[in-house]
Amino acid sequence: MKKRGIGIGCMYYGMGYGFSRPDVSAAEVEICEDGSIIVRSGEVDYGQGSDTIFCQMVAEELGIRYDTIQLITADTFATPNAGPTSASRLTYVTGNAMVKASRAIKKTLQSVAEEILGERDLLFLDEEIFSESHPERRISFRQLAKEGHLRGLPMVETAWHDITTKDVNPETGQGDAYSTYAYAAQLAEVAVDTETGEVEVLRIVAAADVGKAINPSNVEGQIEGGVAMGLGYALTEEIKEEGGYLKTRNLGEYMIPTSMDVPPIDPHIVEVPVSSGPYGAKGVGEPALIPTAPAILNAIANAIGVRVTELPANLENLHRLIREKERD
Amino acid sequence: MSKEPGKTLLKMKVNGKAVEVMVNPTWTLLRVLREELRLTGTKKGCEQGDCGVCTVIMDGRTVNACLVLALQTESKEIETIEGLGTADQLHPLQKSFIKHGAVQCGFCTPGMLLSAKALLEKNADPTLEEIKRGISGNLCRCTGFVKIIKAIQNVHR
Ligand code: FES
Ligand code: FES
Repeated sequence: MKKRGIGIGCMYYGMGYGFSRPDVSAAEVEICEDGSIIVRSGEVDYGQGSDTIFCQMVAEELGIRYDTIQLITADTFATPNAGPTSASRLTYVTGNAMVKASRAIKKTLQSVAEEILGERDLLFLDEEIFSESHPERRISFRQLAKEGHLRGLPMVETAWHDITTKDVNPETGQGDAYSTYAYAAQLAEVAVDTETGEVEVLRIVAAADVGKAINPSNVEGQIEGGVAMGLGYALTEEIKEEGGYLKTRNLGEYMIPTSMDVPPIDPHIVEVPVSSGPYGAKGVGEPALIPTAPAILNAIANAIGVRVTELPANLENLHRLIREKERD
Repeated sequence: MSKEPGKTLLKMKVNGKAVEVMVNPTWTLLRVLREELRLTGTKKGCEQGDCGVCTVIMDGRTVNACLVLALQTESKEIETIEGLGTADQLHPLQKSFIKHGAVQCGFCTPGMLLSAKALLEKNADPTLEEIKRGISGNLCRCTGFVKIIKAIQNVHR
């Protein structure tokens, strides 16, 4: 017999390393004579989309086209340290460094533009800088960059962002643990076969508070990928080891979800801006994955009254738990 | 081509072009593509047929290049990601993948695109189930497949 159930999982997650562990990132923004931009940072984009959003941030600050930016990353020969891609920290930490460096260089450009245009109420928009009150007074970004270079002004700025916290009191656990927190909740609907223990996940609804989605499509992608990973964690993925030897040696034995296993996912982006994040943003990498397994296990409990306390809830384990419950 | 001891001459077509290459009988198609022909768009993952990142099209059917011995491709037509489109002239599937945000780390993408292409050539309007089945041999650890499936569904829209 197949029984259906629903379950909820929720979490909060400290951004970055917390507990006084150093958590810093650098970014460098340089404006070339032809108005193109070079951004350097040791950050690593391994698929989460940080390269994309950092270019978006610099473009947003300077009012330029995204595709005029050349990004150089993760090269100790050329880039300042941004710390690891981990702890869901890049958007929040390196993002701040990107915005800071962009704003510093914008300040220099602003002073040159004020001098040339004779106005102070300047807007940087669509590759142009113009006065809000006298919009006919304008200069192209390209020309302004050239003027900056002709004046010998600093056309490169490096920014450093530090979110290292003070730490907590080891006795009480109270104090300054993390710079900020992300929140997420997910709902799973499952059908459990009471004969075999097979769990079919029918649907996952996943909400994540990202502060501000710099690139909504990327955030959805992170949520969907996180859910798929959480699904594998809950139901199939297991590292087996015997006497110190790995028994799970390949992807035929370590079963990650395929296109046939991932259910419809309904991602919801929640935006509650955090003042310490760039444009209010914080990370979503791990928060997207954490609530999935608890939501699925709660749904299993809701469906058949069996509490899974050890992962994965695969056929073997669930079948055993169901039989144990029948015997009681 | 000079004679090399222990090697055999292999003639095949890769992305429409005739190719002649001396191969060791133990080499796989994957090795020949990546190391001899320098077509590194075909990725090397598990080398056991589990992950699908080495997917190429051989005479119209997808194969795992890591499981095909090079000499089995004698006189065959191989299509790799390099033959799908160019940076200025992307294949409709490539455009759709970009539009729908179906690429994250990109490691599965070449194989995924070729599986999708082979599927659509046989079945121009696949159902959701058929798409899922069509790419079920291509693992993706990043996307949860949602946007990849959307990109394939909407390739002509
Ligand atoms: S490398 Fe061929 S299937 Fe993994
Ligand atoms: S995009 Fe990273 S494995 Fe598919």
